[in-house]
Amino acid sequence: MTRKWYHIAKAEFYVLTSGLRRHRKVTVTIMYVLAAVWAAYFAPMIIGGFLGAIMPMEVMRTLLMVMFPGLMRTVILFLWALLLLFPLSHALQEIKIGQWEIFLSNNVKTRDILAGTFVGKIPMYGLIVMVFAPLLISPFMLAFEVSLIGQALVYTVIALMVLSTIWLSNFITAIIQARLGDSSRGNDIAKALSVVVALIVIIPMYGLMLFMPQLSGILGINAFLVMPFTWPADLVSWVTITFNGIGLTGSQILAFGAILQLDMLTSALLMAAFGLAFVPIAITAADRVFTISAGVRTETVTTVGRENVFLRGIRSFAKGPFGALTIVSLKDFGRKAQNLSKIFYGVVLAIILPMLMQQITIVEGEVFEAAEILPMISIMIGVVGVFPFAGTGFLESKDQLWIIRSAPKGASHFMRARVATGFMMAIPLSLAPTIAMTLMFNLALLSAVQIFCAAYVTVCGAVMVSMGITAQNPNYEDTKSSAHQTVLITSMMLVQFTLIGPLFATIFLDIGLGFNLFRFMESIFGLSGFMVVELVLGPTVLLLVGGLMLHLGIRSLGKVEV
Amino acid sequence: MRNNGISIQTQALNKTFGPVHAVRDLDLEVASGGRFGFLRPNRAGKTTTVRILSGLMKPTSGSASVLGMDILTHAGEIKSLTGLLPETPGLYSKLSAVEFLDFIGALNGLEGPVLDRRIDSLLSMLGLEGRQDDLLDSYSSGMKQKVLVASTLLHEPRLVFLDEPTSRLDPSAGALVKDLILVLAEETETTFFICTHQTSFAEDVCDIVGIINDGSLVIVDSPNGIVESTSAKDLEEAYLKIVGGQVDRDSLLAWR
Repeated sequence: MTRKWYHIAKAEFYVLTSGLRRHRKVTVTIMYVLAAVWAAYFAPMIIGGFLGAIMPMEVMRTLLMVMFPGLMRTVILFLWALLLLFPLSHALQEIKIGQWEIFLSNNVKTRDILAGTFVGKIPMYGLIVMVFAPLLISPFMLAFEVSLIGQALVYTVIALMVLSTIWLSNFITAIIQARLGDSSRGNDIAKALSVVVALIVIIPMYGLMLFMPQLSGILGINAFLVMPFTWPADLVSWVTITFNGIGLTGSQILAFGAILQLDMLTSALLMAAFGLAFVPIAITAADRVFTISAGVRTETVTTVGRENVFLRGIRSFAKGPFGALTIVSLKDFGRKAQNLSKIFYGVVLAIILPMLMQQITIVEGEVFEAAEILPMISIMIGVVGVFPFAGTGFLESKDQLWIIRSAPKGASHFMRARVATGFMMAIPLSLAPTIAMTLMFNLALLSAVQIFCAAYVTVCGAVMVSMGITAQNPNYEDTKSSAHQTVLITSMMLVQFTLIGPLFATIFLDIGLGFNLFRFMESIFGLSGFMVVELVLGPTVLLLVGGLMLHLGIRSLGKVEV
Repeated sequence: MRNNGISIQTQALNKTFGPVHAVRDLDLEVASGGRFGFLRPNRAGKTTTVRILSGLMKPTSGSASVLGMDILTHAGEIKSLTGLLPETPGLYSKLSAVEFLDFIGALNGLEGPVLDRRIDSLLSMLGLEGRQDDLLDSYSSGMKQKVLVASTLLHEPRLVFLDEPTSRLDPSAGALVKDLILVLAEETETTFFICTHQTSFAEDVCDIVGIINDGSLVIVDSPNGIVESTSAKDLEEAYLKIVGGQVDRDSLLAWR
């Protein structure tokens, strides 16, 4: 009798580590050894050194103790969200339920599919946790001087949480994949969901980085006792308190108990019950989850209607093939749920920026003028312009590229239409932070117009850079490919460096040649030199770099292959 | 740029990808208005040959002219006068058939009522008139192939490269495409360069067939001529005799 789940787990592991296939065993072993050394030695040492540099341990201890249970819940929430949603986001980027047909036709039991896909995921996601968990947990271990037994128990709790969360995540992923099906439409929705899911993961991350006291306060309230991430968090808190080496007094432990509400045993039982409950639930439901859908012919057929006023307006404004191509490009971009979800993601990021600033205003008492906000926004808004256009929403396949290339100057016509589409999509991306900032800071209309213009020019520059770089290395909608990562990272870096570059150049000019460009700009424009450099020079250079990237992209896309 | 009745001419054409010799010393002539069938085993470089001839790829060595123009110096002009049907569909899933053809027309500089009329006529002829406004992601592979056939003919090319034109089509749609090729070749002098694995299709449609083995052109003749010269009963048997690949009954069960 072959262990079918084992072979499915092996295949799943091979897929997750396909990038290492030549030296898989050696590389994975080395990675685990390094992760273990990192977790046991380097992470606590680095964190200890870092915390010691910021403030004395006594002060840190007092601070951590004040926020302790809520802070632990925040940390565990981040790990929990990461484990639950990252595999989900990863799986949704490419739905492959065609494999289920192979499993089922080979008489594999659905519980074996569930167990196999679960076990196959453990090594890689376990490794991720081994890297992240010590960073998040070490400050508490150091502050409370937790004994070795205590630390072993803490990491055991985290390991159990990891297993139950991966099991849950694996189960939810299978349900969503089965619901969406292996179709063009299902894949599109899945990719859109993967972006939204990623957004959910970054919220606790931003919370940890920027609003830790507020988030800890919120998560510390009793309402969160019903959330599954609270139980392992509280259990870790109890173990930390119980095995502390700083001599917590009985009254202090009682005070923590009052905040935590549930005792150690109850937290442990709830955590175990939650983890174990999903094992029979998932196994029982597996037969209903792993089903083959009826196929393309039974899907809902979408029929396009008459062109709307906006598209008709473009058609009458831009006559000829360019207008027609731009309209087709807009339709293609706008009908893909994943593109819209990226625009939504960009808009959310663009609104988060002024929210962060407002938070700083509230917490640190600083008051920002519009003139101060503008340069900062223009630097950050570049990222918003890159994300929806770098790598995806460009070409679906290499076969599409052959069709475009087979037309005379096809690549050039295609790129111009795509860029025009990007410029139109830049409007909501620039409008969102403008409206948010205008409302939050009660800005005058003129300031709002200034912000919009600055944001729009920056987003358009980022669009040109992103599309130019994508055209030089198209990844054909494969968001898991190395080409996609390269395009995304290169576009982000280039936009950021281009926007900040003039600032550095100005400083170097001042130091090297004694020429103060800030003052020079101020003498001409009458505004703060810094603001002029950042608002005018940065985006101008970005537009030039964008133009260059586009030129290179068109050449690369239209080249005759060697 | 006169072509003297020759649409495609290649001389010692070679294409290598590292150690792989995809096209080897190809010498070829295809007459204008002819229907040339290119029969090759899998992974023998027929798609590479089509890409070179349509100006999308540079040969490693040798020369080729298409419609009297050199493929290296006149790639743009060649593209405007030729149509390419790729082997695998590169359609936009979120466009309808009409929108996709509108896109291809715009890429080729077509617009207005002329383009609209051609799109309507082609879709109607290919039996897609009832589904023309549905998104392509809901099309079957055969329907997608029909849209690609329409996109290839949209700008009335003088030379059409077809890479496996009927591989996804049902028998009736396949027969329609056959008739379309024959009518266009006879009435409009359009030249067809057809890559196919289907010997019966080549036998029915092509007036000249070239068979390639190990990257080299082994035989060029009419289908009947090839059948007679190899003493085979049909083109499939002739192809197997030339290329090899016949397996005896014992070998078919040897894997058990």
